[in-house]
Amino acid sequence: MFGFGYGEGFPDHSIASVEPAGEGRILIRTSAADVGQGVQTVAVQIASEVLKLDPEHFEIVEGDTHTTQNAGSSSATRQTYFTGHAVKEAAEDLLGNIYHYASQEFTTNHPEMGTRDGRIFSHVNSDDEMTIWELKDRLANRGIELKGRGTFFPRTYKPDPETGQSEKVYVGYSYHTQVVEVVVDTVTGQVTVEKAYSAIDAGKAINPAGVEGQVEGGTAQGLGMALMEEQIIEEGRTLNPDMSRYLVPTAVDVPEVETVIVENEDTDGPFGAKGIGEPAMIATAPAIINAIYDAIGVRFYQLPVTPEKIKAALEQN
Amino acid sequence: MSTKYVGEKVTKVDACKKVTGEAKYTEDLVNDFSDLLHIRVLRTPHPHAYLREINLEPAREVAGVVEVFTAADFPELKEFGLIIKDQPVLVGIDQKMRYLGDALALVVAETDAAALQGRDRIELEIEELEVVDNPLRSMEQGCIQIHEDHEIEVTHYLDPEMCCDNILSDNYLDKGDVEKGFAEADLIVEREYQTQFVEQLPLQVEKGIADYDEESGEIIIWAASQWLHDTQADIAQAMGISKDKIRIKQPVIGGAFGKKEDISVHIHLALAARELKRPVQLIYNREESMIAQSKRHPQIIRHKTGVSSEGKLTAWQTKMIMDTGAYASSGPAVVRNAMFHCTGPYQVPNVRAACYAVYTNNTYCGAMRGFGATQMAFAYDSQMDVIARELEIDPADFRMRNAYQPGSTTPGGEKLELGVNVRETIARARRLSGWQEGDNNA
Repeated sequence: MFGFGYGEGFPDHSIASVEPAGEGRILIRTSAADVGQGVQTVAVQIASEVLKLDPEHFEIVEGDTHTTQNAGSSSATRQTYFTGHAVKEAAEDLLGNIYHYASQEFTTNHPEMGTRDGRIFSHVNSDDEMTIWELKDRLANRGIELKGRGTFFPRTYKPDPETGQSEKVYVGYSYHTQVVEVVVDTVTGQVTVEKAYSAIDAGKAINPAGVEGQVEGGTAQGLGMALMEEQIIEEGRTLNPDMSRYLVPTAVDVPEVETVIVENEDTDGPFGAKGIGEPAMIATAPAIINAIYDAIGVRFYQLPVTPEKIKAALEQN
Repeated sequence: MSTKYVGEKVTKVDACKKVTGEAKYTEDLVNDFSDLLHIRVLRTPHPHAYLREINLEPAREVAGVVEVFTAADFPELKEFGLIIKDQPVLVGIDQKMRYLGDALALVVAETDAAALQGRDRIELEIEELEVVDNPLRSMEQGCIQIHEDHEIEVTHYLDPEMCCDNILSDNYLDKGDVEKGFAEADLIVEREYQTQFVEQLPLQVEKGIADYDEESGEIIIWAASQWLHDTQADIAQAMGISKDKIRIKQPVIGGAFGKKEDISVHIHLALAARELKRPVQLIYNREESMIAQSKRHPQIIRHKTGVSSEGKLTAWQTKMIMDTGAYASSGPAVVRNAMFHCTGPYQVPNVRAACYAVYTNNTYCGAMRGFGATQMAFAYDSQMDVIARELEIDPADFRMRNAYQPGSTTPGGEKLELGVNVRETIARARRLSGWQEGDNNA
């Protein structure tokens, strides 16, 4: 389980804008850092959905403190929820502006209009049609900039300092259950994680491949924490500050991961989405430790459970 | 809801550029400059000591060394940090070094080799202090104080018995009546769990370039950050300049996992670029990255759990001590995130917790995927397994019996209403894995 967003009364928000640029292109302006998790793809899919326009038309401007506004950090499993919301609002704001200004050009009103694939059209008069970019140029001549802007700024609640109690600690919670199959070699102490089965609650997966990728990466990282990773610091000095002595899982250590995504669209996130970046990881280490107990009847209380520790424990029994 | 693009396996928008090599990481941007200077940082030789003297002359004599900067060159510098400002940009004379990653001097040279040679020639005199490498030692009466010169603002210090000299923050939960809950229990299980220092290990280590625009007085930094605007604000406050004079341009990021929340190369780059009015680069190696930048916090977690013979949780008490290392970084938030997750997704009517973030002279700890809750999950879901085995209930059934449902309340007293799908994830994972079906809702 993971409560996402900063929580605990810490101010948390994201600002984005969506702006038609040169012919056929639309810029999404957000400073949300894509650290590989795919927030840029999520932003494009959401803007695509609102504007009914294929993803290849969108471009994300490069993060820059002077040309983008605050999107908060890529952490706390918050970007799909926060920047997803901000981009959705910005795209809806742009859509609202498109309808507003195009209705002036068409001399009609919103319900009698539509937009799809970059075209704006009237349901009443088939001659009334233009592209988003034609509208943008016409407005530019009138000194009007066609764009949409969105900010998501939910209320957060500060807990009581003595009891930690509050009305709402986090903006939402994501759940993940993982079952792992392990084989323990009782001669060498080596643990092989053969298979992992995950059911992750994403609310709505904006990009199911992204969710699966997060679960696979999270499983690898959780496996590392359970079985091998440890920066050994003695008297303040790191004894293994390199990748030959600090062991991380490689492709041969990581099991096949089978994932089902629970999608009840039952949150107030964009399209019912929740964040899943951190919950994708946290189920794995306890699942492995519990599976080792199931295999050899030894309970380990200290991570990581290295082959040396397993051998020593088995020899004691 | 019917959607066309949302819910589809759309190809990642940055995939093609990353595969073809078109994506520009910091190391690619280096090629855009012809006159880059190289920085190497002299770090501390001892994890806890006073700096008494520093002799830069031997470094300055190295051919190619352009300048060597120390704290003495920047009397206006303030300390930095994500939540509280307790980390020095450069440790000055008669100031304290608190871990092996603290910076003592910046050697700027025409080549990396010269910067490195210069760095290794700097002579130091230090006064060594006791190294506190264990949070339990750190909490003992009479232990040397690590931050005697800082007023730490995030603590409550509600326990008058405790020695608070090295406690960064103490945090408490109290829900229901935990004593009553234990009195109602048929079985009480108490166990202690420990986690380790984990390195986030993004493929890309800390790297950056900075340039100074003499006309506008703007310092432009190209370096990855998980939070551009927060990094910008922290650099500006540390240097005592206005925020708009710091412009950060985000290169493509080579992984982070929490490690790129903290300041790393940024302030050192900004100072050198401004002073020398030339573009500079600072690139850590893996060793420097592992020693100088944040780790996942090791936690010592003691759970005491009461349960009825039918397998219903009645009380849960948690004490957690977390080694935050030499500086606060995200520590005050990580300890609380761990605390609020102390019972995981399981409904417990009576909960009490006391969680501490404690300074030591270890490499400082900060954000890493799960932010304290990952360590806590190892402990609470091990604890649940221990109890299930003792009660001889199927571990999946035991979890199902106690898992949240709409209307459950968290340890923080929040009543859960939206999207409480934990039981469904248990049922689906169970089915997917072929886990033998038991009684789901006893």
